[in-house]
Amino acid sequence: MQANEQTQANQKKSNFIIVLSICSIWLILCVVAWFKTPEATSESERRKLAQAPELKLETVANGTYMKDFETYAQDQFPLRFPFRQLKAYTRFYGLRQLDSNEIYVLDGFAAKQEYPLKENEILLATTRIRYLYEKYLEAQDLNVFISVIPDKNYYLGYQQAYPSLDYERLFSLIQDNTEYATYIDITGALAIEDYYASDIHWKQESLRDVAQVLAKSLGIADSLSGTYYAQEAATAFYGVYRGQSALPLKPDQIRYLTNETTEAATVFNYETGQTTPVYDLPKLDSRDPYDVYLSGASPLLVIDNPLAQESRELIIFRDSFGSSVTPLLLEGYRKITLIDTRYIASDLVGNYVTFTDQDVLFLYNTLLLNSATMLK
Amino acid sequence: MYYFFPLVLLIYFLVPFRAKNPVLLIASLIFYGWGEPINVVYMLLSIAVHYVCGLLIERDFGQSRAKLWLILATVFSLVLLGYFKYTDFLIENVNFILGTHFPLQNIVLPIGVSFYTFQIMSYTFDVYRGETPAQKNIFTLATYLSLFPQLIAGPIVRYVDVAAELVRREHSVARMRLGLRRFLLGLGKKVILANSLGELCQHFQNAENPSVLFHWLYAAAFTLQIYFDFSGYSDMAIGMGKLLGFNFLENFNYPFIARSITEFWRRWHMSLSTWFRDYLYIPLGGNRVSQGRWVLNILLVWFLTGLWHGAAWNFIFWGLLFAFFLLAEKFWLGKWLSRIPAPLTHIYVLLIVVLSFVLFDAPGLRIAGERMVAMFGGRGAPLADTEAIYYLRSYAVIFLLAIIGSTRWPKTTIERLQKAPLAAKILTIAEPVMDISLLLVVTAYLVDSSFNPFLYFRF
Repeated sequence: MQANEQTQANQKKSNFIIVLSICSIWLILCVVAWFKTPEATSESERRKLAQAPELKLETVANGTYMKDFETYAQDQFPLRFPFRQLKAYTRFYGLRQLDSNEIYVLDGFAAKQEYPLKENEILLATTRIRYLYEKYLEAQDLNVFISVIPDKNYYLGYQQAYPSLDYERLFSLIQDNTEYATYIDITGALAIEDYYASDIHWKQESLRDVAQVLAKSLGIADSLSGTYYAQEAATAFYGVYRGQSALPLKPDQIRYLTNETTEAATVFNYETGQTTPVYDLPKLDSRDPYDVYLSGASPLLVIDNPLAQESRELIIFRDSFGSSVTPLLLEGYRKITLIDTRYIASDLVGNYVTFTDQDVLFLYNTLLLNSATMLK
Repeated sequence: MYYFFPLVLLIYFLVPFRAKNPVLLIASLIFYGWGEPINVVYMLLSIAVHYVCGLLIERDFGQSRAKLWLILATVFSLVLLGYFKYTDFLIENVNFILGTHFPLQNIVLPIGVSFYTFQIMSYTFDVYRGETPAQKNIFTLATYLSLFPQLIAGPIVRYVDVAAELVRREHSVARMRLGLRRFLLGLGKKVILANSLGELCQHFQNAENPSVLFHWLYAAAFTLQIYFDFSGYSDMAIGMGKLLGFNFLENFNYPFIARSITEFWRRWHMSLSTWFRDYLYIPLGGNRVSQGRWVLNILLVWFLTGLWHGAAWNFIFWGLLFAFFLLAEKFWLGKWLSRIPAPLTHIYVLLIVVLSFVLFDAPGLRIAGERMVAMFGGRGAPLADTEAIYYLRSYAVIFLLAIIGSTRWPKTTIERLQKAPLAAKILTIAEPVMDISLLLVVTAYLVDSSFNPFLYFRF
C-alpha cells in the first residue's frame, strides 16, 4: 500500500517536472521569438532575412500579412542557425539521408544536386550565345572560342552514381550548336580537389592547368610565365554550401596568385565607375570572400595590363567562375574585357564595347547553362 | 506553434473556468481566420444556422416541423460545402457532357470546411434524434465547432462526445503530460516523417522518366506520408485536446496491420467512416434491406466518401474502389482471406491500399492509370535508375522508421519495458529526454523549411 502511494507520488513528481521542462522551453522560445530584435541578414545563408510585416487592415483582410508573418517568424526564429544545424545533423547523421537541402557530401566535398539536364535551357544558352556572335562578332571575323566549366557534380555525383546531369549530352549540345566557335575541353585539366570543399567555385591556385589549356587554344601559351606567388587570406573561407546545408563542413582557405602582371594590372568597373586592383582584398572580409577575384559579380569589367608585351585583347563572356581564372590569362593580353550577360542585356553590350580584332571566349559553367534563362 | 499556442495555453490556464471557453473561442477564431479571415464569416454563419435550427428542432421535437428544420440546416450546410468545394467540378463535367463553355469560378476552399460541416451536421442530427439536448448557449456551440486543435483536419468530433466537457472538464498535470507527449508525437510524425516522405514524392513528380523502382518508392512513400500526416494531425489534436481537458476519440488504429479492406476501414479515419455509418448508411437501412438495395447503399456511401475527399473523379473512383473490395470481401473474398496465411492477407491489403493512394494522389485518372501501369513495368519505364537507387538509399532509414512506426511494435515494446523494474526506471528518465529532444528536433525542422501545410487541410 505504502509502496503504491510512493509510486504515485513519484509519478506525480515526474509528471510535474516533465510538464514544467517542456512548457518552459516552449514558453522561453515563445517569449524570445516575440521580443528579440530582428536581424537584417543571415551571414551563413548569405541572404536578407524577412522583416516584420506592417499591420494594415488591407493586408490582414487579404491574408498577405499572415503569409508575410509566417516567413518573418521562420526567418527571425531565435537560434535559427543552431536549429538549422540540428536539422541537418538529424537528417544527415540520424536519418542517414544523403543530402541536406539538396546538398550532398562525398569525400569531404559538398555539392548541390543539379539534375536533370534541361535541354531547352542548354539550347536557350546556345541561342543567346549565337545572338551575341551574330550581332557583334560574325561581321568582324573574330576568333571565337567556347569552353564549358564542369560543376563539382561532374567529378562527384556523376562518377559515383548520384543523380546528376548527363554531361556528355550537355557538352555535345553546346558543341553542336556553336559550330562557329572553337571548343576548348578543360574537363581533363580539373579534378574535384581543384574546387573548394564548401563552395560552388573552383580554386584559383589549382587552375594553372586550366589556364594552360585555354592559353594553348587562344595561342598565348608562350606568353604565360606560369610563375605566381600564392597569397593566403588571413581568415577561413566558409563557402556557400555550408550555410545552405548547415552541415559541419570544414572551412576552405582562399588563396590568390600574384605576380608582377597581376599587381600592375588595374580593373575598371563600368557599373561603379571605380578602378580597383585585380584582387580586391577588402572583399576577403565580406559576406562572400570569393569576391576577392575582380571584386565579384559585375556586368562589365576591363582589365588593363600595362606590362603586356603584345597588344592583343581578349573579351570573355563569363560567369563567376571566370573571375578567378582570368588573372591567369592576363600575361597574354594588353586588355581583357569581361562581360556577364546575367547583369547586362546583350543588346546593350555594344554601347560599351567595340568589337574589332579581339579574341573572344565564351566561358560558362554547367550550372548556369542548365539555367540559361538567367542570361539576358 | 511558438507565437500562438504557448500564449493561448498560458492565458487559458490563468483564467478561471468560466472564462476558459471564451478564451478557446476567441483563440480558435483567430487561428482559423489567420489563413483567410473571410472563412470565419462562413463558419459563424454555419454555427448560427445550426444553433437556431437545433433550438427549433428541440422545440418541435417529434413533430413533422422538426424534420423541416433538420432539412433546412442540412441543406444549408451541404449547399455551402457544395458551393465552395464542388462548383468547379460540376461546371467541368457539365461543360464536358454538354460541350458548353461555362467559365470555372476558381472558388477558394475554406480550409477544414469538410470537417466542420460534418461536425455541425452531426450536432443537428443528434438533436433531431433526441440523443442530445440542443445547446442553449451559442457561444458554447461555437466553441465546440471552432475548437482549434481539431478544427481544420479532424478528427470529426461529434457534439455528443464533448458536450459534457464543454460544460465541465478536468485539468491535471498527469493529463497535461499525456497531452504534451501525444502532441509532440503527432508533430514529429508530421514534420519529420510525413514531410520527409513528401519530399520524396516531390522528387518523383519532378522526375522526367521515373523507373519502376521509383514508382514503387513513390507509391509507398505517399501511402506512408498520408498516414503520418493525417494521423500526426489527429495525434496533435487529441494531445492538445487533452491539455485543454477534452477527450477526443481516436481516429486511427494501426490501419496497415489490417488483414482485409473491411478491417482497414475500421482502423483508418475512423471518425469519418463512423460518421457515414451512423448518419447515412444506417438511416438508408444498413444491411437490413434486400441485397440489391444493400449493394446500392454501399456504393452510395463510398461514392460520397470519395467525393468528400475531393472534387475530382479520381477521389470518387478511389471511394468506389474500396466499395468494390468491401463488397467482394462480403460475398466471397472474405472467406478466401480467412483461409490463407496471414502474411498473404497483409500483402493483399497493402497492395490495394498502396494502389488506391496512387489513384488518390494523381492529378487525374489518366495519370493515375499511367503510374499504375508503370509500376508493373509498362510504358517502357526502366526497372531501376540512378535516381531511384539514390532516393532508396537516402530514405531507407525514414522508410524503416515509418514502417515500424505504423505497427503496434513501438507501443507494445514500451508497455513491456514498463513492466520490468529496471527498464521502467530507465524509461522514467529516457521518456522526458525523448520528449524534449523531439520538441527541439521538430522545431529545427520547422525553422528550416518552407511552409508545409497538412495534406488534409485541403479537405
